[in-house]
Amino acid sequence: MKFHCIVCIKAVTLHASGKGAGRNSCTAVLNPFDRIALEKALAIAETRAGALTVLTMGPPSCAFVLYEAMAMGAAGGVLLSDNRFADSDTLATSTVLAAAIIRLAPYDLVIFGARTADSDTGHVGPQTAEALGIPMVTGVLTCEWKDDSCRIERKIDEFREIYALSSPVALTVHPTACVPRDIPLAHIEESYTQKEIVTWSLEDLDLREDRVGKNGSLTEVFSLKQAARERHCEFIGGPVETQAAALVDAIRKSGLIG
Amino acid sequence: MNTLLSEKQRTVRRSVRSFCDRELAPIAGAIDQESRFPWEVVEMMGKLGYFGVQAPKELGGADLDSLSYAVTIEEISRASGAMGLTVTVHNSVAVYPILHFGTDTQKRRWIPSLARGEKIGAFCLTEPNAGSDAAALEATALRKDTFYLVNANKVFVSNGAVADVCLIFARTDPAAGRKGISIIVAERGTPGFVVGDLEDLSGMRANPVCSLRFYDCPVPLENLLGKEGTGLHIALATLDTGRMGIAAQALGIAQAALEASARYARQRRQFGVPIGNHQAVQIMLADMATTVDAARLLVYRTAILRDTGSPFSREAAMAKLFASEASGTVTDKAVQIHGGYGYSKTYAVERYYRDARVTRIYEGTSEIHRMVIARRVLDEYAP
Repeated sequence: MKFHCIVCIKAVTLHASGKGAGRNSCTAVLNPFDRIALEKALAIAETRAGALTVLTMGPPSCAFVLYEAMAMGAAGGVLLSDNRFADSDTLATSTVLAAAIIRLAPYDLVIFGARTADSDTGHVGPQTAEALGIPMVTGVLTCEWKDDSCRIERKIDEFREIYALSSPVALTVHPTACVPRDIPLAHIEESYTQKEIVTWSLEDLDLREDRVGKNGSLTEVFSLKQAARERHCEFIGGPVETQAAALVDAIRKSGLIG
Repeated sequence: MNTLLSEKQRTVRRSVRSFCDRELAPIAGAIDQESRFPWEVVEMMGKLGYFGVQAPKELGGADLDSLSYAVTIEEISRASGAMGLTVTVHNSVAVYPILHFGTDTQKRRWIPSLARGEKIGAFCLTEPNAGSDAAALEATALRKDTFYLVNANKVFVSNGAVADVCLIFARTDPAAGRKGISIIVAERGTPGFVVGDLEDLSGMRANPVCSLRFYDCPVPLENLLGKEGTGLHIALATLDTGRMGIAAQALGIAQAALEASARYARQRRQFGVPIGNHQAVQIMLADMATTVDAARLLVYRTAILRDTGSPFSREAAMAKLFASEASGTVTDKAVQIHGGYGYSKTYAVERYYRDARVTRIYEGTSEIHRMVIARRVLDEYAP
């Protein structure tokens, strides 16, 4: 059976313009952590001669992240879009993703970014794995497959852990695991003109309405505001050697280095 | 302004910007000061399709629309005007005329390696005594048995020192005046093809602009582009596209200057507050942003017309005129906002200011464009 990898991605909002602001390719981008996850997934799928499917939940205006992922190399994309999915928290999102992944079975690997750049919870990967009842390893640096099993290296603080697991497996990719590829212009053109995405609604996923959207959520975001960034400029004078020492001292005092 | 673009075009912008921010912008100042053509980045740009943005897929291109092309040039130029020049000259006035006026054999021979950036193209029209008055050129390409014998002195050739495929404008029939000018495609390495010294220019210093000389250079007859005598016709058709590219380049430089100025205005403090709090600086920023957006609208309109197959000659002239003048005023204000530091090579606006200047000169001076536009206006409203 052909190796099948699924990557769950998100269009993250660039500017907080109030709760429920519409995400589209002007106001949102493909989550940068997902780009790293996609790179890792593509590298694995390429060595296994397998297929890669990308999955995202959001309004149709978020489909652009699927096209971007397909321009990177994914074979196909699925948009999970339904008004009843609106206001899903991470739990309800994971419920929807898990239902879609079950529909995409068989699969060997489900990959997520470490977190999202606009909400930063890191919940969705582990919760989806839980819903699927498959093992999850977070913060993955490398993932080497042999037949139906894999050896996974995970980085956590200053430690590296090695896991041996059998398919199917879910993982989140460490932000330092790899550098995402640049997208050739021709692949962008091909993605939009030759590749297709499918859209699944609640009915396609065999889910009850009370498990998704606001009804299926245990948490609710009341507001989203841009964090104010304090700027402070300090000039260090004197000869270069003194400046360097003073700079190191200032960074040390700020707690950035020990 | 992104709302004017399709999702695909926005993806093009994001992808090109992401690459240029990471690979090109950090070295743009150094390659300018060293007058160095950054082969390492050019090679990467070639692999990403920047050298064949609109060439068909079967010939190795990305097969994108004109607006995507304009956005690509805008983004490259936002990082480095000199590399924007390399890419726009290559696409607009080397790849495009071969694609549209070349035979199938010529396309198959030259386009794939050009589209992948493995070979670099150049357009050799200007001579010491023929600039805006292109019909005054003195180069000759006289037909012999199996070749044209080319004798030419071409100056200010963008990409010149690295060009492999050069479109040379020369007289194949010296007695026929304007109708005796043809385009001969000469490849580097042909006997008599001599690369002159680099021009010591004020800006665009990472682009190896130089003179190219051809001394009794035998170019095979099959390297004639189009028919004999159609050189100026092809030039005019080509330059409309070229002007759109230069307009996009000027726009990218102006955008970079605007962004740098806004950042500096927030950071630099005088009289106890960031200078961006002072109305005098705010007025400059507002005028810069408005001018940049107006230029962008003109550039994008030209691209959209080109994509829909409509005539766009007048609009290309307007976009080139306005965007190049805009990049002059915007980079000038950027230097002013930066004060003494803006006049120093420490800050990129000094480079933007120098790079912007030539956009009012090459591929038709502002004055030539005003003539083109005025002629259209007179014909339209007072025929």
